[in-house]
Amino acid sequence: IAQYQEVKVSSFEEFIQAVEEHNGKTIFAYFTGSKDAEGKSWCLDCAQAEPVIGEGLKHISEGCVFIYCQVGEKPYWKDPNNDFRKKLKVTAVPTLLKYRTPQKLVESECFQASLVEMLFSED
Amino acid sequence: MAAAMAAALRGPGARFRWRQLASAGGARGAARGAAGQWDYDLLVIGGGSGGLACAKEAAQLGRKVAVVDYVEPSPRGTRWGLGGTCVNVGCIPKKLMHQAALLGGMIQDARHYGWEVAQPISHNWRKMAEAVQNHVKSLNWGHRVQLQDRKVKYFNIKASFVNEHTVCGITKDGKETLLSADNIVIATGGRPRYPTHIEGALEYGITSDDIFWLKESPGKTLVVGASYVALECAGFLTGIGLDTTVMMRSIPLRGFDQQMSALVTEHMMSHGTRFLRGRTATRVRRLPAGRLQVTWEDCVSGREDTDTFDTILWAIGRVPETKSLNLEKSGVKTSPISQKILVDSQDATSVPHIYAIGDVAEGRPELTPTAIMAGKFLAQRIFGQSLTLMDYDSVPTTVFTPLEYGCMGLSEEEAVARHGQEHVEVYHAYYKPLEFMVPGRDASQCYIKMVCLREPPQLVLGLHFLGPNAGEVTQGFALGIRCGASYAQVMRTVGIHPTCSEEVVRLRISKRSGLDPTVTGC
Repeated sequence: IAQYQEVKVSSFEEFIQAVEEHNGKTIFAYFTGSKDAEGKSWCLDCAQAEPVIGEGLKHISEGCVFIYCQVGEKPYWKDPNNDFRKKLKVTAVPTLLKYRTPQKLVESECFQASLVEMLFSED
Repeated sequence: MAAAMAAALRGPGARFRWRQLASAGGARGAARGAAGQWDYDLLVIGGGSGGLACAKEAAQLGRKVAVVDYVEPSPRGTRWGLGGTCVNVGCIPKKLMHQAALLGGMIQDARHYGWEVAQPISHNWRKMAEAVQNHVKSLNWGHRVQLQDRKVKYFNIKASFVNEHTVCGITKDGKETLLSADNIVIATGGRPRYPTHIEGALEYGITSDDIFWLKESPGKTLVVGASYVALECAGFLTGIGLDTTVMMRSIPLRGFDQQMSALVTEHMMSHGTRFLRGRTATRVRRLPAGRLQVTWEDCVSGREDTDTFDTILWAIGRVPETKSLNLEKSGVKTSPISQKILVDSQDATSVPHIYAIGDVAEGRPELTPTAIMAGKFLAQRIFGQSLTLMDYDSVPTTVFTPLEYGCMGLSEEEAVARHGQEHVEVYHAYYKPLEFMVPGRDASQCYIKMVCLREPPQLVLGLHFLGPNAGEVTQGFALGIRCGASYAQVMRTVGIHPTCSEEVVRLRISKRSGLDPTVTGC
């Protein structure tokens, strides 16, 4: 199993900070609806995708960074002016992307193990 | 099992080789197609417009399909991802850069419409190139996701035939794989031609393969060629403010209506593109400072002349990608003149289970939409119950020069050649787009021509539209013409006002009448 670094953030500001801290490395990011105290997310699709993402991480290369980003509560997410939508062009959850490339998977694409594996291992 | 496999791989002249795992992580048994013998029901060589459409359609019909795509780097070293010419070095980046150029003109117009625009405006090539390149890359990714989603196996390997059912693929790092299929579709397209007989052409010139991927501005550019590639590139380079020259040996846009072609180049000339007609380049030298010195001669007088440029773009035609396929191993025949693959009306080559579509096939238009449609129909014929053949007649197209030229059907010359002057009626008009009037834009070349049969109801044989948004205008009329529209019906079609498009249905002046075709009033 490859040695990658996992970073957990739960706001846009934290996400940007994490990206800056790991500048120069290959960064993957997974955006999910935030989980409550019991670890349940308001986003059902995200719950379905998470284990697939977990499996896919086994294909990530050494030295990469994986940012697990909780986007916030449902009302914040639904606001068309939230920072994720406006500044990052992330308009759906779950979204899995390779930062600073056009490579991304959205919603039900994240359920497909072969697509997730392709995103993590493709260059 | 191994013996049967070995027998299948051993064709006349084929080297016997143990077949390596064709799919990463896939078991040998699972890799076999429905037919039992072969790895796949369909192997598509070439992941461009035609190839991808065919592969996806076959997969949709439940077949086991693989696509192999490989981009040989251009002599400059340019390479790109999945999607073929259109996505990477053709239609898509071309249209985006054309748009970039048009926007420059619109920013100037905006001042007349009340916008406070700071002068002078300048264009940043790097910013445009990055945006265009990023969009193309997102399309490459989109295609990868689509193939994966539809269970089409994709290999980034350079394929060549081992025998009529098998190809050998080589990866970037030199690894070899064998793939076999019941049916094979060759859709490898073409690449720009280099005039290798001209000294310095290969070392110092670029082609359309490179122009869209340049990180730095091409600067003062010489475009050699008279094709739509040449004119479209020269058009957007001029539009973004670069010193641009087009050099051609004879006529512009060979094959297109020549009256329209002349208007296209006339517009470009009056808008800043320099034209050198009847000249051919003889030599390209690099000067100490890095600029390029081109020498050319006048085709008639033989007189030589020279000038210095930053970039030379060869747009003198395209050659089919057939050389490295080892076609002899498959029995597939090519045209001795064009090197393209010979096909029948079913898109089949000289070998019944091997087909060819798109730019690589002889006699086909070099267009994305026809390749896509042909690919889909082909898959439906091979695997579905369909008998539908592709109709290559009356395919609408548009040349995206600064003033765009959309057309469908016969040129005036073709109509006259086919039916005789007395049996052809041409309706025409010079019009002025409303939006041009406020900024005082020159509309001298905005012109429409409808070529019809003279006998009532005067069937429309061809439509030619020169003006803004020609592609958008022509598309709708293509449906009408396909349905057999007559000039009588055109006359009874109400126009949408105020548009340029309505001028098509308002055509009333025939060439034969000799009357002034300039549109007046509302």
